Order: sequence, then C-alpha cells, then structure tokens
Amino acid sequence: MAVSSSAASIPRRPAAFGWARIPAIVRYPLVGAVLVAAWHYYAVHKGSLFMATPWQTVQEFWHGWRNGSLSEPTWATLRLLLEGIGIGAAIAAVLTAFATLSKIGEDALVLLTAVLNPLPGVAVLPIAMLLFGLNESAVRFVIANATIWPIAIAVSTGFKTANQTLVAVGRNVGLSRVRVITDVLAPAALPQAISGVRTAWAFGWRTIIAAELVFGVAGSSGGLGNYINNARQYFLTPQVFAGLLTIAILGVVFETLFGQLERRTVIRWGMKTS
Amino acid sequence: MRTLSGRMPRRQARVAPSEHEPSGPLLRVEHVRLGYWTARQFTVAVEDVSFDVEAGERIIVIGPSGCGKSTLLKAIAGFIEPAGGLIQMAGRTSLAPGPDRAVVFQEFDQLFPWRSVLSNVAYPLRVNGHRRRAAIAKARQYLELTNLAHAADRYPHQLSGGMKQRVAIARALALDPTLLLMDEPFGSLDAITRQRLQTELNRIVEQTRVTLLFVTHSIEEALVLGDRIVVLGDAPSRVIATVDIRGLGGPETVEYSQMRGRLRELLAVDKEEVEEIGGLE
Repeated sequence: MAVSSSAASIPRRPAAFGWARIPAIVRYPLVGAVLVAAWHYYAVHKGSLFMATPWQTVQEFWHGWRNGSLSEPTWATLRLLLEGIGIGAAIAAVLTAFATLSKIGEDALVLLTAVLNPLPGVAVLPIAMLLFGLNESAVRFVIANATIWPIAIAVSTGFKTANQTLVAVGRNVGLSRVRVITDVLAPAALPQAISGVRTAWAFGWRTIIAAELVFGVAGSSGGLGNYINNARQYFLTPQVFAGLLTIAILGVVFETLFGQLERRTVIRWGMKTS
Repeated sequence: MRTLSGRMPRRQARVAPSEHEPSGPLLRVEHVRLGYWTARQFTVAVEDVSFDVEAGERIIVIGPSGCGKSTLLKAIAGFIEPAGGLIQMAGRTSLAPGPDRAVVFQEFDQLFPWRSVLSNVAYPLRVNGHRRRAAIAKARQYLELTNLAHAADRYPHQLSGGMKQRVAIARALALDPTLLLMDEPFGSLDAITRQRLQTELNRIVEQTRVTLLFVTHSIEEALVLGDRIVVLGDAPSRVIATVDIRGLGGPETVEYSQMRGRLRELLAVDKEEVEEIGGLE
C-alpha cells in the first residue's frame, strides 16, 4: 500500500469489508426490502384472511387516513394519551417537589414508587372501571398511573444528582427554597426528566392500546386499540395491519420529536452528549 | 481530630452581641469554631479563628489542605452555621446566603449550563430586582470588565476552564457584593492561565474597589493578590499568623523572598512537607 508523502502522519482509516462498505443510506432500505418481501410471501402463503400483504396494508392505511376511519380513532387515542400523561407529569412534578422540600414527602414518594411502579399499567384498569365506570376517565386514570412513577423516579434522581455547586450558587444569588427548585434543580434535572417522559410515553402508549384492545374502552368514539380489535372480529385483516402500521409510525415520530427536544436543550447545553 | 458528641453545636452561633457598630470592620470573625457531623460525631475543622476585614481590603486566607479554610468561607457566605464564636458582617450576625457576599467557587461547573454566558451574569441581577434591560446592560458591562464580551452568547460548555472562572467572577461582581468571597477559584487551572487570571483579578479589584476575601493554599497567589494574609494551621485550625504585605516589593525583591520564606516556615510548622505547600507555585 503506497502512503502518500504529504499525509504521512495520518494513518489510513481501516478498510471496511463486505456489507459494512455499503453506505447506510443503501443498507437500511435493502434490509427493509428483504423484510417486506418476507412479509409479503408469508402473507400470500397464509391467505389474506389471516395476513395482509404490505401493499394491502399501505392501501388500507391510506384509505383509513383519508376517510377518517383510521385517523379518528388515532386522534382519539392520542388525545387521551396526552391528557393522561399530562395529568401524570403534573402529579409527578408536585410529588417530586414535595419530596425535595420535606422528609415525609420523600418517604411517601419512595414507598409509592416502590409499590406502584412495578404494576403493569393495565393491571389497574379493573379498579379504574370500578371507580370511574367504563369511560374516558378510567383510561386517563390508568395512563396517569402508568406515567407518574417513571417520571417521578427520573426527576427525583435528577434532583438528587444535581450539581450541588449550582444549588449553592442559586442560594448565594438570593433564590428562595422554592425558586431553587424551579430555577436550578428543575433545569438541572432536565436530561433525566426528558428520558423519564420518554419512558412514560412508551408505558402510556402500551397501556392505552392494551386497555382498548382488552376492554374496548376509550370513550364514545373508540380508539386505535378498538379499531384493531373490531377489525379482527370482522376479519378485516388489512385494517388490523393498518392500525399496527399507525402505531409503529407514531412511535418513530415521537422518538424523533424527543430526539429533537434533546438536541435543542440538553445536548445544546452540553448536559448530555448526543 | 477533636470530637464533640451529643450536644448540638448549632445553638451557640446565635449567642452574639447585637450592638451595631457602623464604624467597625466590615467583617468580624471572632473565635469561630466550625465542623461537620459525620455519622454520630461532630468533627471540628476550625477550632478557633479570629480576624477582621476592613472595607476595601484584600484578605487572603491561606492554610494547608484540609485545614478548614473553605469551610470558613462557606460559613461567612452563610451556608454553614458556626458551632461557636461569631461572624458579623456589617453589624449583622444572622447570615443567610445572599448576594452581598457573592461567592466564586473553585468548581468550573458553577455556571448554569442551560444559560448563555450573558444570561449567567444577568439572571442573578434579575433575581435581585433588576429589570430585564438593566440586567443585560450591566451583565455586558461586567463581561467587558473580565474581557469576555466576545463570548456573551456562548454556553458554558463551550468555554475553557479559565473563561468559566472569569464568567463566575463577572457574575459575582455584577451583584455589587459588599464582600467578594473566592474559594480557590484558580485552583483547578493550569499554571499559565492561573497567573494570567491573578493579574486580571488584581486589575479588576483595583477598578471595582471591591473588598476581597480569597482562600488559597498557594503562597505565591497569596503574595500576588493580598493586602493581608491570615495563615491557618492544620485542622482543627487556629490562626497562626496574620501578615500585612502592603507595600511589599515585586517577586525580584529581597523582602518578597523573605516574606515567602516566612510564610513557608509558618505553613510548615505542623507539617514537615514544605515541598507540598510551597511546590505549587
């Protein structure tokens, strides 16, 4: 191998072999194409009653979003999910602030998270239905419960591991105890808070779909889980797949949004490496 | 290490004469005793320290590592209550942390990472009642004073260690402190940057006429920055000497090296490690 004299001090990048040599922009579509092809042939083999082909799925997805039969349940689910997470995040914030200000609050938070965090979100649904009936409030309750604990754990970890020098600076410049929480601890805990909300989002999302699938509750309009379950009952298999595709796409969309949020905040501020 | 068990030492701190002496020194530290609780026992870090700081003075507190000089500074800043004795600031004795005793810490991460350099300096002003515009104007002025005007829009993680410490100095000074407290602010810097910042600090102190209480373990730094040097012994520490170095010549003079020799001896009284104490220069 000839080494050019001008770049003698720069070692050559080790050569990649085989598959790794192909650029990523080609690699991923190729893998995707293979998977879609496998799906297609399996669907054809299985019969359209049980498996929709990729093309049928895409058609149904397009159709459902144009005439509203898929978009409406999706918005209904998303709205409920956001409400539930909003309630959950607000309660988590209050609990963590209280835990920071008092020992009793801290003990309560430790006990509550220890007991309630391991509970699968849907497991609380029967209680919610007893308390609220078969309606949206029950779902909100379940989502809130599924999201409070991961957020509270993340934020309180963030508070505890927050840089004590910054807290000292906050007090030194004249902040009150409450303002130390809002102006110093809260932003200092933002990396953990974002990852907490991310986890909460994943929990909530799984919980609401499961709740709708199993119990069919999501208010009068019916949600995405409902849509999938109904489609299954009537053997509208392409609709089942279109529903799943929607969930997958939303997952990617929200992951991207969280990534954006991090890039604009904690990564920009050097509080988290990308 | 002396220990004190059972008795909570916090009460004593409040026993303080309340007579107001506007003509007295700006800061009075009288027989201050400081320590901290570990598990079940109280460990004394500072046994008995007394000194005064007059307005406009530059006081250096020097002592070997672990002698409690940072603890002393934290007590003056109001973060720790003395277990005994009295700290009186402009006649007041109950000292909560406040911007009249702005602190510059040793740690580089004392800047809020989510705020730009400008906002790091302006935000404490906002907290203390400045309007937005006034705060920003004043912040800019102090960034200019510390030669940081060009970095106003950067975030702390984009700055070098020396620049971070200069932002912290600008932030503290912008608050117009009655007493500027500095806790080994240049301790984590390389020798060249440290020397540059010492020169710069001297200029800034001269310009702002701020009263300075500066903690260090470097004899050289003490000689470069101080009017008077309070020398502490090993923990649990006492004042072993207070030295006035006003009017001392530059490093090339005989008096300077004599003074340095004297300080080295003083600091080596309890420990034989002259090297460790003197070697940092």
